[in-house]
Amino acid sequence: MSRGLWTTTVGSFPKPPRLEKARQQHARGELSAEALEAMEREETIAVIKRQEAIGIDIIVDGELYRGDMTTYFAERMPGFAISNPVRSYGNRYYRKPIAVGPIRRKKPLTVDWWKFAQSQTSRPVKGMLTGPYTMMDWSFNEHYPSREAMTMDLAEAIREEAFALQEAGAKYIQIDEPALSVRPEELSLAVRAFGRVTEGLQAKTITHVCYGDFDLIYPGLLDMPVDQIDLEMANSRYDLLDRFRSHPFTKEIGYGVLDVHSHRVETKEEVKEGIRRGLEVLKPEQMYVDPDCGLKTRTVDEAFAKLEVMVQAVREIREEKGITT
Amino acid sequence: MKIETTLAGSYPKLPTSPGDINLRVVKNRRDQGKATEQDVQDAVRQTTRRILEIQERAGVDLPVDGAAGWDDAQTYVARGLGGFQIAGLIRYLDTNTYYRQPEIVGPVTWKGPITVEDFRAAQAMSERPVKAFLPGPYSLYRFSKDRHEGNEGEALAAIGAALAKEAGALEEAGARWIHFEEPWLGRAHAEDAPKARAALAPLLEGRKAKTTVHVPFTAPTAVFDAIRELPWTAIGLDLREAPAGWDLLPRIPEGRTVALGLIDARNTKLEEADEVAREIARARAARPDLAYQLSTTASLEYLPADKAELKVTRLVEAARTASRNGGS
Repeated sequence: MSRGLWTTTVGSFPKPPRLEKARQQHARGELSAEALEAMEREETIAVIKRQEAIGIDIIVDGELYRGDMTTYFAERMPGFAISNPVRSYGNRYYRKPIAVGPIRRKKPLTVDWWKFAQSQTSRPVKGMLTGPYTMMDWSFNEHYPSREAMTMDLAEAIREEAFALQEAGAKYIQIDEPALSVRPEELSLAVRAFGRVTEGLQAKTITHVCYGDFDLIYPGLLDMPVDQIDLEMANSRYDLLDRFRSHPFTKEIGYGVLDVHSHRVETKEEVKEGIRRGLEVLKPEQMYVDPDCGLKTRTVDEAFAKLEVMVQAVREIREEKGITT
Repeated sequence: MKIETTLAGSYPKLPTSPGDINLRVVKNRRDQGKATEQDVQDAVRQTTRRILEIQERAGVDLPVDGAAGWDDAQTYVARGLGGFQIAGLIRYLDTNTYYRQPEIVGPVTWKGPITVEDFRAAQAMSERPVKAFLPGPYSLYRFSKDRHEGNEGEALAAIGAALAKEAGALEEAGARWIHFEEPWLGRAHAEDAPKARAALAPLLEGRKAKTTVHVPFTAPTAVFDAIRELPWTAIGLDLREAPAGWDLLPRIPEGRTVALGLIDARNTKLEEADEVAREIARARAARPDLAYQLSTTASLEYLPADKAELKVTRLVEAARTASRNGGS
């Protein structure tokens, strides 16, 4: 009997309406930081308990206290300023970091939240960071002479945070690099910077890469010095599996089976079929089943409905194939 | 000689002054059932007016409407063509913006005007000739997923022919200059050159309007020889992200225009007008026989609205400095 097909999620969860409202009130100066944080903690506990109830194996804190995945870190690191909103698609906007001086980590960025989340559950909670290449690529640069110089400074800062998470007890540290898939000529820079972050880390390391053109970076992607690469499979209709047939995927894979940009809740059969297709070219012990990306753009009900389907589908496939966790 | 000024592509939709219409808010209200589609359409028009006013105040010679109603650079047009369906979100090259990926599921056809009403509305708001904006056929194909059974050459030719009809409709509506955005020409390999040419040829041949083929992000080095003799009026080059574009200057046919992309649309750092003017002088010294426009490198929508406005002002300042210097 083989082991594998663990379940997890990529990181973010939707913010409940009361928390969205509270964040807006705080931005307008109508709610104190302490009151907002108290609500963020309540909702973080709720997200953790719901993941436990559904049966997710490896938990996340849901990032309910974060806005954008780069801006959250940039707001806490000297050397960054934050821009006015920039459009990402349609009617979605985010505030983008601007490098205006040397970027440093002066204090823990996520450790307190990780400790809080881990204290709420006996299941492992992933530490969640954004990688140096993505932080660089998704920021404006008014300071550094080159993209490389900015990336390597960020690598030092994020390395400090990764080791602080490990010191605090994190067994899984996810360092997301979604920008990795779009500038193949810079893959070697991204790999070098990521290697600086993970060098000497004992925790299992994961990186999430999404929504790019994998023809450009595969199989070079496998050079990333990381234990697990998390990929969106459902959104691209599992087209990536054809690449894995011609060049085997040699690392653990976070195997995305839920389209996070669709309101529709997948059927259990759809998810099972996606997993079965994966098992044709991947070993169960390689596979961690999860959504394609963070769930923050869904409603709370949609997000958990999707996850319930996912976990149920995994259970039935485990039984069908004789796989244990 | 005067350096004409223009922008490439779309423009930020958010207002910079309190009290101005906020398209984002109106769309959110529409999503909550508190505003109608007509309210959104009215807000799009008011946003277009503001985008044109910003350019007019700054003194841009060849303004754009800013694509105020577009969600991204591809789907607004692809949605209006036959043979396409629109699928999931995908990252737009290396920009950290997204688009919904068009999928080709049947023969690509032009069903009727897609952008003409927008153009008419914008032109009615401006004394200056508004530059119409369309995706280029090669890039629209490369940004799409081809799930149709036809071959690649047929699809490219069909997209080129369909966009040619859209361009013809824009000409009939009064467009005097049409901008085709072709980021994938910079990523094409030498073996792609015949395909790029085949896609662009039906679009450019016989045009009454002047045309720009704009290539942001990367220089179209590998395919340039295949497209250089096509009858485009201007080639737009991103000389910030892709300094290799300078090497194309000697290969540009006599009498054409180069839209020098020297105002960086992807970084908030503001250029110095004198420095930009010196770079324009460099181009003039290398090829005095060509005409020049000063342009943004790409769509200013990669910047927040306040920074975009500063870039527009600086664009005109730099062009005026260069024009005063007369190329010296």
